[in-house]
Amino acid sequence: MIGDILQDALFAAIAAIGFTSISRPPRLAYLFCGLIAAAGHSARYLLMSDTFSGMHILPATFLASLLIGCLSVFLSPIARFPAETCLFPSLLPMIPGMYAYKAFGAFVMCIMAESSASFDSVFFLFAHNALICGSILLAMVVGATIPIFIFSHISFQATR
Amino acid sequence: MSEELFLASDVRENEIYGEACGEARTLCIFLAKYSSVLLGCGSTCIRLEKNVKRIAEAYGMEAELYIMPRHIQISVWEKSHTATVTVLEAVSPIGISFEVNTLLSRLSWEIADKKISFGEAIEIFEGIISCRKQKKFLIIILVALANASFCRLFGGDIAAMITVSISTAFGYLLKLILLKINIDVRMVVFLSALLSALIAGSAVEYSIGGTSRIALATSVLYLVPGIPFINSFSDVIYRHYICAFGRFFDAVVLTCCLSAGLFLAMKILGINMF
Repeated sequence: MIGDILQDALFAAIAAIGFTSISRPPRLAYLFCGLIAAAGHSARYLLMSDTFSGMHILPATFLASLLIGCLSVFLSPIARFPAETCLFPSLLPMIPGMYAYKAFGAFVMCIMAESSASFDSVFFLFAHNALICGSILLAMVVGATIPIFIFSHISFQATR
Repeated sequence: MSEELFLASDVRENEIYGEACGEARTLCIFLAKYSSVLLGCGSTCIRLEKNVKRIAEAYGMEAELYIMPRHIQISVWEKSHTATVTVLEAVSPIGISFEVNTLLSRLSWEIADKKISFGEAIEIFEGIISCRKQKKFLIIILVALANASFCRLFGGDIAAMITVSISTAFGYLLKLILLKINIDVRMVVFLSALLSALIAGSAVEYSIGGTSRIALATSVLYLVPGIPFINSFSDVIYRHYICAFGRFFDAVVLTCCLSAGLFLAMKILGINMF
């Protein structure tokens, strides 16, 4: 179990560091993004694992994003960069890519469906995956932005 | 005598007005350029608003912004309202850069706290926006590793991870080349997605590894405009609805482009979605 969590944290950190590089961050941000993404993603993994609480992906994502948001807000004054610098790249490993892919696939199949029965089955797939994908995105963003909103006196003075 | 006094006071008033107007104009032009770069590098509207007002306050003025998806209108006036100047500026297309965002935010605090002179502030600003070279090769490797890690997080095996890293490296390289020759960003995303998906789709065709479909699905995810998506939600929270909608729609268009590239690659290779 611990091995799985560590593996999840490691790959989330690599993903965050790599995607951070696209956004041209300050050098120190790579370290912070890696650590925050590892903490957030492994927290979600732990929350969703059956041995811990078996939580649904939606609340687990919300709580993990809240953790990422809090860590970003409280760590950003140390490095003197805006909280978003750590926050946004750290969230990227949680983007529901597979749901988006399945929703897109089902959407294309809906268009190409030739019978009512086949349309119904692929439309269910499309709606199901698209709704989950959208809800996860919303949970991620709301969870991560709440700490910035609540602790605005810290997050907007981090570069001071 | 009274006429002379009147004229003198009129001239003096004009001088004061002209001086104030000149100061407000100079500051307004600077703030318009500052805002244009800050919004262009991916700052949220709320940060832009706070930074600009902080700088204006430090120089004894007040400022108000009207933020649109591609333009910023900024008004600056003296607290006594003797002169108001408004400048409209297009958002600078410098691309997302958290480093520029950080340095510009620091500049606003340096102006507010250390009371640095206006000339010094302009000098620092110009230093920040002067082109910083990125190590492109290193970034290609980092993005390839990141997408391969993404693939692992979605349950991909080693073969899928290798496939994804290769497809991402080639796709990202193509993206950089096309952007350098000023091809429209939507076309760039479409073509990069097409190339990455064709490479990853070959793994499905030749049955390389046990999770080649995960590799195919992950191969284009490095093109997802995650930061505009997240920024747009942040703008909603602070009620910057127009800008939020603009950013969201931009991100949706780019997502459609990458989906079209993926779909075309699957059609070419004859791969079904499920």
